[in-house]
Parts: sequence; structure tokens; C-alpha cells
Amino acid sequence: MDPFTLAMWGITLVFTGFALVKNKEKTFQSMKKSKGMMSSMLGSIVSIILLIGLVLALVPPANIEQALGSSNQVVASIIAAIAGSITLIPAFVAFPLVGSLVDAGASIVPGVAFLTTLTMVGVVTFPLEKQEFGAKFALTRNGLSFIFALIIAIGMGVIL
Amino acid sequence: MKIINYLKQNKFLSLVLLAYMVSFILRPQFAAQAFDNSAYYFIEMIQIMPMIFLLIVVIDVLIPKEVIINNLGEGSGFKGGILALVLGSISAGPIYAAFPVSKLLLKKGASIGNIVVILSAWAVVKVPMLANEAKFLGAEFMRTRWILTVISIFIMSAIVSAIVKKEDLPMDESSSELIVVNQAYCIGCGLCEKMGPILFEMVDGKAIVKQQPMVSKQIAAVENIAKKCPGNAIQIPSKVA
Repeated sequence: MDPFTLAMWGITLVFTGFALVKNKEKTFQSMKKSKGMMSSMLGSIVSIILLIGLVLALVPPANIEQALGSSNQVVASIIAAIAGSITLIPAFVAFPLVGSLVDAGASIVPGVAFLTTLTMVGVVTFPLEKQEFGAKFALTRNGLSFIFALIIAIGMGVIL
Repeated sequence: MKIINYLKQNKFLSLVLLAYMVSFILRPQFAAQAFDNSAYYFIEMIQIMPMIFLLIVVIDVLIPKEVIINNLGEGSGFKGGILALVLGSISAGPIYAAFPVSKLLLKKGASIGNIVVILSAWAVVKVPMLANEAKFLGAEFMRTRWILTVISIFIMSAIVSAIVKKEDLPMDESSSELIVVNQAYCIGCGLCEKMGPILFEMVDGKAIVKQQPMVSKQIAAVENIAKKCPGNAIQIPSKVA
């Protein structure tokens, strides 16, 4: 566990203690509610995790690296944005991957598009987002995030 | 039987399991690789989700509804946006961990725009991730991307709140803490708007809740209006009443 997560755990535990002291009955009631919420999402979360595994087996990071370094920048950026949307790669893999590309002389635009859609657009998490917030919200948020990821990428290319 | 019923209800899970079965029959090595890839994310889930479970309890018990409405609600303005950005940025865990927390905040009165900010910030601008980015791509790269991302998040938040309204979101009536007008039952008579213009308004011939009642006087008024509603469309959660 990284120190940040550990700190969050600590803070949450302390406040759970406060909640118990403040109102024991309401806290237990709330736990029941929270348990219901979690169990309604658990099936989807397990599906998401298994699906990520499948996607990564289909599109290994090495292939993504190849696509990101392609000579046609426009095509590379769009492929990168799509690749970022459908995969979920931990930051400690994604940053060195893009870093090595940039060091090798590739344009940063596809790399940024990839990094941004990677976290902001979630094709695999879409079913869960739809279940919790409705199709309209999930579609609008993910669609906009995809467009803005490309805008951010172009902006980075212009500024840096 | 229980398992079959569960799978019937969870089509997403059934599909993924089916994909695994097919790939296991056709290419067992591929399936094993896929399963192997998932291991990291399983560990992440086990580390994060129990904390999210407690965090939901903490928010529910310790933070009153009025505080959330005032600080993250429709009228919270720019300050609300900044608070949402900070909340999202200091969180830990993958984006799906943000869903239950956001849903609870939404139920307790946070605005859709601020929820978009929290979800996006939760996904993109986490503090440990920024440090990692600066290490591999340089501080200037990280700073520029952060600034552009934050600007984009606020623009997206404005666009989403213009397109998506609270009525578009699925809210399970039983656990919801908000008063809602059931659009299927509303006959569009306008009585509620006449009796409580602060609380209800008519949009496209149907009544919607304009503002959630916050003081006991308003709650009493809503109860009275709900009784008079000819379509019985105003639903008051048991907790408020």
C-alpha cells in the first residue's frame, strides 16, 4: 500500500471512530446502507477487473507503445486516445511508457492524449457508471472527456 | 440456483465470465494471461473498497445534509467547484471507488456539476500520480498538463450540468433522501407550484422539485402539498418526514 492510501485509511478510521462516538445507532444503520451500496456494485467491479485483464491481454502495453510512436501524428493521437479509453493501466506503468517514447523523440501529443483518456474516459467502467448515474450522465461525461483529452493533447503540443 | 439468478441479474458479469470461458477453451494461455493481468487490480480493490465502505458511513453520519447543499450544491458557485476539485484530488483509489462516494454526495444535495469535478479530479489529478508524472516526464510537462486538465474539468462540469438534470439520474426511491416528483404519476395540474412556489416548479407541463426543503417549516409544507397532490406523485422519503 502506498503511503497516500495508508494516510487515507488512517483518516477514515479516525473519523469512523468519531461517528461511532457521536451516534452509535445511526452509524450502524449507515453501515447497513453502505453495505447495500457496496454489494450492489461488487458484481460490476469484479467484472471491470476481469475485463481489464482481458483487454490488456488483447492490447499489451508494447502494442500501445508502437501505435503511439507511429509517424502520422493525427492518426497516432486518435489511436492513442482510443487506446487510453479502453484500457486502464496503472500510472507507474503508463508514465514511464510515455516517458520513454518522448525521450526517443516521438511527439508528445499522442502521449498526452493517451495519458488523459487513460484515467478520465472509462469504457470498461461505463456499465457501472451507467448503472449508478444513468446513461445520459455517463455518455455525456465520457464523451466530453474524450474530446477534451484531445484538446489538452493539442494544447500541450502547442505550449511545450 | 442462487448463482444462476445472480448471473441473470448481472449481465455484465455474465458476459465477462463467458468471454473468459470461450478464451479458456480456445486459447487457455491467453485466458491465464488475462487473469494474471487482473491480479494487480484485485489487490487494489481489496485495499481500497473497505475504506470506501467506511468513508460512506463517515460522510453519512458526520456531515449534515445542509453542509453538503451549502458547500457543494447548486448555489455553491466557484467555491463549491474548488472544494470539489480538492476533494477529488486528495482521494485515493481508482475511478470506480469514486462512484459510491459521489452518489452519496449527490443524494445529500451536491450539484451534478460538482460531481463531475469530483469524478474527473479523482481520476486524473491525484497527488501521488502527479509526483510520478514529474519524475518520468518532467515538472514542466506535469504542470502544464495539470493546468490544462483543471481548466477542461471546469468547462466539462458546466457543459454536463447544462445537459444532464437531476431527473435524468437513477435514484432508488427507498434509500434516497431527496423529495422527488414521480414524473409518471404527475398530471401536470400545477397545484404544488401554486402552494409552494419556492419548492416546486412546472417544466414542460410536469412538476419538478425546484429546491429540497431544508427547514422543518418547509418539510411540513411539502407534506401538506403531497397530501393534496391529485396524482399522489410527490414522494417523500421516510427519513425527511
